Amino acid sequence: MTAAVLEQVRPAGSRIEALALAVATVVIACLLALWVRSHGRAEEKPRLYEWQVSAFETLAGADQTIYNALYTAKDEIVYLYDDINMMNGPGQRFRWPALQDLQDALLPPFYQDRSWEQTGSLQWRLHEPLSEGEMQGSVMYLGTDGQAPGQGSFLLVIGHVHAGFRNNNAIMIWWNPRNHVEMPQSGFRDGLILQGWREVVPHSGAAEVERIFGEDVPGPADDAAKADEIVDDLFGGGQ
Amino acid sequence: MISLRHAMRAVLAALVLTTASGTEAAAPARLKVGVTLHPYYSFVTNIVGDRAEVIPLIDADANPHGYTPQPADIVRMRSMDVLVVNGIGHDGWAFEILDAAGRRKDLPLIYANDGVSLIPVAGAPAGEKVVNPHTFIATTAAIQQVYTIARRLGEIDPSNAAYFRDNARRYALEIRKLRAQFDARVAGADLSKFRCATMHSGYDYLLQELGLQVTAVIEPRHGVEPTARQLAETIDRIKAAKVNVLFAEKYFASKLSDTIRQATGVRMYSISHISSGPYTPGRFVEEMNENLATLAQAITDSAKGAGPAPH
Repeated sequence: MTAAVLEQVRPAGSRIEALALAVATVVIACLLALWVRSHGRAEEKPRLYEWQVSAFETLAGADQTIYNALYTAKDEIVYLYDDINMMNGPGQRFRWPALQDLQDALLPPFYQDRSWEQTGSLQWRLHEPLSEGEMQGSVMYLGTDGQAPGQGSFLLVIGHVHAGFRNNNAIMIWWNPRNHVEMPQSGFRDGLILQGWREVVPHSGAAEVERIFGEDVPGPADDAAKADEIVDDLFGGGQ
Repeated sequence: MISLRHAMRAVLAALVLTTASGTEAAAPARLKVGVTLHPYYSFVTNIVGDRAEVIPLIDADANPHGYTPQPADIVRMRSMDVLVVNGIGHDGWAFEILDAAGRRKDLPLIYANDGVSLIPVAGAPAGEKVVNPHTFIATTAAIQQVYTIARRLGEIDPSNAAYFRDNARRYALEIRKLRAQFDARVAGADLSKFRCATMHSGYDYLLQELGLQVTAVIEPRHGVEPTARQLAETIDRIKAAKVNVLFAEKYFASKLSDTIRQATGVRMYSISHISSGPYTPGRFVEEMNENLATLAQAITDSAKGAGPAPH
C-alpha cells in the first residue's frame, strides 16, 4: 500500500485567464452602467406649484370622486351651453346651463341621486356674470357644505367669457380644503389663490402614456418632429 | 450649414403640414377604425354609425389579459386607418403587433384615456400609488373616452366631425341613463351596512363613481394571486371590517373567491370585466347595465342583512 500524493497542478495561463475574466467582468459592468445611464429614465412626478394639488396623489374619497365627475362635466357643460343658445336671436342673452339643466342632463356631480348623497350631497350654486357689457367675467359653479368627513369645496371656473363667445381653454377646477366657502367675487386666479383655493391637476391618461413610453410614444410624430427626422436623414444627426 | 439646416427644417415642416392637411381633406371615404378591447368596439360603433368600419384587432374569444399576438392580428392591423387603444394597460400587446406590422410610426393612434383623470388602484400597500387602467369599467370615465375618441376621429375625418360628436353625446346620455336606473333600483336602501371587497382592482372606477368604498382587494396585483400569508391577512381584514359583499370576475372562475366566501361568509356577486364574448355595438351598455343591476342587488341584500348567498 502506497501513500497517496496530492499535487495541485495549475495551467500555465491560469493567472492571465483569471485576470482576463476579471477585466471582462469589469468592462461588461461598466458598459451596462453606461447603457442604463444613457437609456434609463428617472421616474419624475409632474411638478406642481404651491397653488396646485394633485387629484391622483392628494385627493381621496368623496373629493376625488367629485373632481373626476367635474372633469368630464366641464366638457358637457360646454355642449349644453351650445344647445341652450343655439337658437338665440340677435341681441338675445347667452346663458350658461342652470343647475336644473344639469339635473335634467343627469350630469354628475350635480345630478342629485344616491351617488350624490354618498359623496357628501355637495350644495351647488351658479354664479353667472352680468349680461351687460362686452366682457362678462367668469362663470362659476360652486359646490360647498358637503356632508362627507373632511370634505372640501369645489369651484368650476369657465373663465373670461365674452358675450356670444366661449373660451373653453379657460376652464379650471379648483378645490378648497374648507368645507364651507362663499362664492368668490371673481374667477381670477390670483384672487382665488389668496382665498385658499388650489387648482386641481389630474394625472391624465395622456400623462400616463408619456410616463410609460417616454419620448417614444407610438403613433405618427407631429409635424415638427417629422421635419426633424427628414432633416436628420439629409444632414445626419446632431447640429 | 446650420442656417441651411434650419431653413430646410422650416420648409419641410411646412410641407409636412400641407401634406397632413391634404390628407385630412382627402380622408378615406369610409375610415377603417381598429379597436383593441370590447368596450372600444361598442364606443366606436356608436360614434361612427355606418360612416366607418370598425375592426377588432384580436379575435372575440381571445383573452386580452396576457394575450399573445397572432399572425392574423398583423394582417388586420395593416388594413387599419387608425387604432383606438387603452394605452395604459390591458392592451400592451397591441404595440407588439404595431411593431410586427411595421406601423409604429405611421398608424394614427387614439389613446382613449388621454382626457381621463386616473385614480390609483384600491388596496395597494400604504403610500403606493399605482395607476388603475380599468377606466372602461365605469360610466363617467367611459363617457370621457367616448368624447375623446369622437373628437380625434373628427380630426382625422373632419367631414364627419359633427356627426361623430352628436352620436357621442347621444351615446353618453344612454350611458348616463344606466346610472339613473341604478339609482331607482337602490332607492330607499340603507347603504350603511354595505361593506365590500373585490377580487381585483378592476371595479374601482365604477364603485368610486357610485360613492361606494372598497374595504379590501384580494389580489395584490391584477392577475396575481395572494400568498397564503397575504390571503390569511385579507380574510382577517374582511372579518374585522365586517365586509359582507365580495365582487368577483364574471368570466374568469377562481377557486380563491370560493375559499374566501367559505372562510368569511360574505355574499359573492359577479361583475363583468367587459373583455370577452362577441363584439357588438350594444355590449358595453348591456354588460354595464348588468353590472349595475348586480351592484344594486348586492346593496339591497346587504341592507336586508341577508346571509351568504349560494354561488
